[in-house]
Amino acid sequence: MSEKQETLQIILDTAEKIFADYCDKTLLDEAERGDFPHRLWQQVSQNGFDRLGAPNSGTDAQDMYALIKQSGRFAVPLPLAETLLVNRWCDYGEGIFSIGVIEEGQIVDVPWGRVADKVLGVSQNSGLVAVVDSPQVVQQSTNLAGDPRDSVVLPADTPFIEVAPDPMTQLAAARCNQMAGSAEAILALGLQFANERIQFGRPIAKFQAIQHSLAVVAAEVAAASRSADAAVDDLSSDRFLFEVAAAKSRVGEAVTIIAEQVHQVHGAMGFTHEHRLHHYSRRAWAWRDEYGNEFYWQGVLGAHLAGLGADHAWQFIATRG
Amino acid sequence: MLQFDRVSLDADTEALRDKVRTFLAANKAHFPRPNSDFSSGHDPEFSRKLGEQGWIGMSWPKAYGGSEQSFFERYVVTEELLSAGAPVSAHWIADRQSGPLLLRYGTEAQRQAYLPAITRGESYFSIGMSEPDTGSDLASVRTMAVKEGDQYRINGTKIWTTDAHRNHFIVCLVRTEPAGENRHAGLSQIIVDLQNDGVQIKPIANMSGSEDFNEVVFEDVMVPADRVVGEPGKGWVQVTSELAYERSGPERFLSAFRVFVELVRACGQQPSPHEAAAIGRIASHIMTLRRMSISVAGMLQKDKDVVVEAALVKELGNNFEKVLPEIARLAAPMAARNSAFRRSFEQTLLLSPSFTLRGGTREILRGVIARGLGLR
Repeated sequence: MSEKQETLQIILDTAEKIFADYCDKTLLDEAERGDFPHRLWQQVSQNGFDRLGAPNSGTDAQDMYALIKQSGRFAVPLPLAETLLVNRWCDYGEGIFSIGVIEEGQIVDVPWGRVADKVLGVSQNSGLVAVVDSPQVVQQSTNLAGDPRDSVVLPADTPFIEVAPDPMTQLAAARCNQMAGSAEAILALGLQFANERIQFGRPIAKFQAIQHSLAVVAAEVAAASRSADAAVDDLSSDRFLFEVAAAKSRVGEAVTIIAEQVHQVHGAMGFTHEHRLHHYSRRAWAWRDEYGNEFYWQGVLGAHLAGLGADHAWQFIATRG
Repeated sequence: MLQFDRVSLDADTEALRDKVRTFLAANKAHFPRPNSDFSSGHDPEFSRKLGEQGWIGMSWPKAYGGSEQSFFERYVVTEELLSAGAPVSAHWIADRQSGPLLLRYGTEAQRQAYLPAITRGESYFSIGMSEPDTGSDLASVRTMAVKEGDQYRINGTKIWTTDAHRNHFIVCLVRTEPAGENRHAGLSQIIVDLQNDGVQIKPIANMSGSEDFNEVVFEDVMVPADRVVGEPGKGWVQVTSELAYERSGPERFLSAFRVFVELVRACGQQPSPHEAAAIGRIASHIMTLRRMSISVAGMLQKDKDVVVEAALVKELGNNFEKVLPEIARLAAPMAARNSAFRRSFEQTLLLSPSFTLRGGTREILRGVIARGLGLR
């Protein structure tokens, strides 16, 4: 391992310990009821996990996205991906920052807009990003995972900054990594449950039907993880848009299969609110649709390939390892 | 748990890619075929040309005709050949499977005898595993090889043997001892000369109409005892490792690639949203699969155990090879109905049932993965 890889591993291990300690079922339920987990945020902030990948932080975008993937493994109910991206773009330092989409005088779908010190607003195919200080929340809402998605006012005199590469694509890459992380968590729950649940006198893991179902899940988890990593290999490359397009589509397809199969393995227990499985599966489902669903990104990638022409399609696909 | 590391191909490997593309451009007469299936384009002249380039047995020692290149370099050559639809089936099994088997388990004399001709693209091998009553349950093979002095007498039947009627040798999994309590014991691998040892070869037409696979009958076929590969009786370990190591290559996800190329052509440069999405969806899968395959090449390069990872690539890749033509079928414009697209689609579809059978069925692979997950 290189020194860079070792440093990252230490960060990820520390994050894993904190996330595992804090993100238990109780905290996830509280967050779903709208209680912001301030003590968890303090831990994140004290360890500098809100500035990974920021300018002069000694870490880069790959490290940031690796942490975002790690947060997906624990369904971390914070605007962590958003705060990280805001600090990467603007480096505000301490504070809770979030990002949403500009829509008719508002910024909508803002994770935890209600507690954010600043809210940034992005638009499709635009590098211009609105910066709203002390945002005023007009509506509190949630996505299908019960994660806060608020609407805030976009004042007429809001300043805009320029962000490159395309900010929405960077957000889509974050969702790819969050999904890939949750996919791993869902598989782990499926394996644990299958080994523990006894039916017909033996663990259901011993039944071939269950084994094959989880084998399919494992294959999709591996694909999701590799694909999410590839999306963020190089943000400065002119391929970044298309690598994210491939990943958002591929990872979205993967988590659809993963969530469905692992819920089936869990039977009725996984359908209860008391079980923790839905904290991961609902997030994975919701993230598929945030910042472009599979069809949208397939279209972006496909239109580009068609433009290159049939005899150049392979060259494009095989250009980078 | 499941680690598919980021691996990037280095500049030397990419330079080799350019060389392969130049070579392919200069040899266009040999392809493209309507499909990019590794087992259905037998072209000895093309194989010999690849041999001249040093692209067969690439990772093998120079002493045996190899060029001691990395798994990454081999990866790049194979994916370039397959994606272009080049005819590679003549030398494919010898290069991928039989040669590496001899390198791992063969005697020095066997390596000297067989490997250089393989690397020249002149000597082709078939796989002798399945039998009429033996498919996925490989340990149930009944073909017997009985030692008589310095020879073995072989009796039995192998089936689904691709290109046995065109190739030179077959590596057969046989019983050298009767089946006992441990059904994995008493198996051996033995090389039989398909053209000179007196085997009977009966081509079997497949549902696509071509005759690529065969039934191979052994009636008192006598071969010298030094044709046994590895230790007699230890064939099971050899054959399972042989299968495990050869499951993650680009032939496990590129068999239907030409359908994709023809789809892109048929859709034109300004596709409808549905057409664009179909193209993008297919591309997203291939981009991911090749990175996973390259990750496994990286593990092979570091001599790591790849059994589960290779099975995962094959599981995903083979399933996708079957889905690809279906996505393309529904997206292709009406104008494509009488075109290169249709030829490519139909040929690939007719071959597609074999994709999830050869090299270990989907069901066997899922069992391998489940074992890796600690479920059995």
